Amino acid sequence: MSDQSSVGGTNVEGESPQIEPTIETDEATITDDAELERTLGLTGGLAIGIGTMIGAGIFVFPGLAAGRAGPAAAGSFAIGALVALLVALPASELATAMPKSGGGYYYISRGLGTLPGAVVGLSLWFGLVFATAFYLVGFGYYAVDTLAELGVTVGDGLVIPLALLFGAGFTVLNITGTENAAKLQNGIVALLLSILAVFLGYGGLDAVGLIGDPSTPEQFAPFGAMPVLTTAALVFTSYLGFAQVATVAGEMRDPGRNLPLAMVGSVLIVGVLYVAAIFVSTSAFGSERLATFGETAMVEVGRHYFGSIGAVAIVFGGLLATMSSANASVLSTSRAIYAVSKDALLPRRASHINLRYGTPHVALGMAGGPILALVATGRVELLAEVASFLHLITYGLLCVALLALRRADPAWYDPDFRVPGYPIVPVLGALASFALLAFMQPVSQLVGIAIMLVTAGWYAYYGRDVRLKGAIE
Amino acid sequence: MTRVLVPLAILEGESVSTGLPTLLATMDVTVLGYHVLPEQTPPDQARLQYEDRATGALVDLEAAFDAAGGSADHRLVFTHDRDRTVERIADDTAADAYAITGTTGPVDRLLVTLTGDVAVDRLTSFVTELIGDREIGVTLLLATDDEPRGRTVLERAVASLAEHGIDIEPELAVDEPPLEALLAAAAGHDAIVMGEQAPSLRSFLLGEDAERIAAESVGPVLVVREHRNETEVE
Repeated sequence: MSDQSSVGGTNVEGESPQIEPTIETDEATITDDAELERTLGLTGGLAIGIGTMIGAGIFVFPGLAAGRAGPAAAGSFAIGALVALLVALPASELATAMPKSGGGYYYISRGLGTLPGAVVGLSLWFGLVFATAFYLVGFGYYAVDTLAELGVTVGDGLVIPLALLFGAGFTVLNITGTENAAKLQNGIVALLLSILAVFLGYGGLDAVGLIGDPSTPEQFAPFGAMPVLTTAALVFTSYLGFAQVATVAGEMRDPGRNLPLAMVGSVLIVGVLYVAAIFVSTSAFGSERLATFGETAMVEVGRHYFGSIGAVAIVFGGLLATMSSANASVLSTSRAIYAVSKDALLPRRASHINLRYGTPHVALGMAGGPILALVATGRVELLAEVASFLHLITYGLLCVALLALRRADPAWYDPDFRVPGYPIVPVLGALASFALLAFMQPVSQLVGIAIMLVTAGWYAYYGRDVRLKGAIE
Repeated sequence: MTRVLVPLAILEGESVSTGLPTLLATMDVTVLGYHVLPEQTPPDQARLQYEDRATGALVDLEAAFDAAGGSADHRLVFTHDRDRTVERIADDTAADAYAITGTTGPVDRLLVTLTGDVAVDRLTSFVTELIGDREIGVTLLLATDDEPRGRTVLERAVASLAEHGIDIEPELAVDEPPLEALLAAAAGHDAIVMGEQAPSLRSFLLGEDAERIAAESVGPVLVVREHRNETEVE
């Protein structure tokens, strides 16, 4: 199907994709003249996956989701986990076949061709920008609550200014900071998991009536089945992190083993935590009251079970979690831009590295600028849904790319991990991803489609002579 | 043939002084040019931008080793983790030692330290091969608390080097702190040869002994690696 000789081409500026033969080993990628060390282990991969996801699902969504779907919001999170799992398995196969930085964009451009690749690559950029803006707004709410716990009441008017301040701060830190924050990220994730284990363990025992006062039973799905599905579409933003693991696939040791474990493992871990968190928090207050607490409802749940210590622990956890989500996403965004620019679908300048700090300052700026603009809108649900919309398009196409590659079976396609239940799992993954799009608010769908049209237009103007299908390094 | 790995932060201007290629003329040399990147930067992205410049610098270094009469090749690695990279390339090239480059002119006298838990036979055979038929003198230093045993070890090492006609001066330091003894002896020597110490809590906290010694003694330090497979056989 793919004709190696037709691969390459040039964009409107005459730049060609940088495609070179490489040899992949478990420890390094070996090119003609240089080697690229693989330095991330399984722990690092899980930390990226969990660290990106956990901020949203536990610390921002419970109140919003319970308000929409009642206690059945737990079901919405379960649906999200199932869809994520159906995509994580095919993504794992593709990642072990092509362990390159670039993730979903790389698989789709190589499996399906340049147009779908360009749309996905650029949409992922915007998708990550929307997601990061969403995490930052969440962070703003926690920052205001932190001040409140410290006795400084400033009101929700400061949420957006604080989010903007920290968003700008993260961008600058990422451009100028050369200390390795990876170890810090691992520590933050471990700390969050411990806080949540204690909190959800105790709350869970209480909720099922083993300790404490029996809670008032509430109708499971007071608003029927439809809100469960629309809520699933909303909270899917909580599952976007697993594919971010694939954006660092080129830096992961023993990718054949670690990539599938990190992607599937992080989805399973956060999925269980999310469902438990909703269950515990709706048992504590009832969904109606929970909804009135808004973005930081978990703080009240913490207070309910552990008094002010619980509230402080959750506020602190929420700050760390939304911060680590935002930071991990900024890094993924810069890698997404690099992958596209390396293939001549964005100007080469976009992947230029700063001489002073050794960081990709142009790409980080192209992430940070739009993020701040979106944070300024402050529309939490819209930001979350557009992020999910653009990611779900990628996820659906990723499953299609897997089917196409399996059918064409080119010689270079030799994954270490093969998706179980082929072809049912990737077919269901594609159908579920596209189906979830239908349950979003019309305005989110419109914004998502508009962004995709713009990216397709950019492809037609800038890179329509670039040919990437089957272009494996 | 014995191989020495010379790791250099190639894009940060690290280079070798004139004396090192001459000292290593009897060895196979792999120059490892590495560039450490912050985690924000994918190694591949740095490769696209810096590969040509780094390769140019490495080819020049290779030529310097060849001109001194040795034989050199190079590897170029972009990484987030220097130690992992050095370790991997050392295993990959089956390097017997690695060099911490210092500043030195022609080397007339080597300080070889046998202190600590090192394979004395490996060290002496490495030194023998390094010196070859050149006029390089050796001071053998052993710092120990156990004088009789230290004397035996030292005598054995002196005997095995003297066989090859090398000018040796043994020095036994009893009840002195090993590192201070080494640095005191380093004066008057152009380079140091030592064994790779098993990582201990002390070296973990204070940085590898070899790097501290290199920092304090200015001259190059050759660290003879322990070969895991061989130690199993012994």
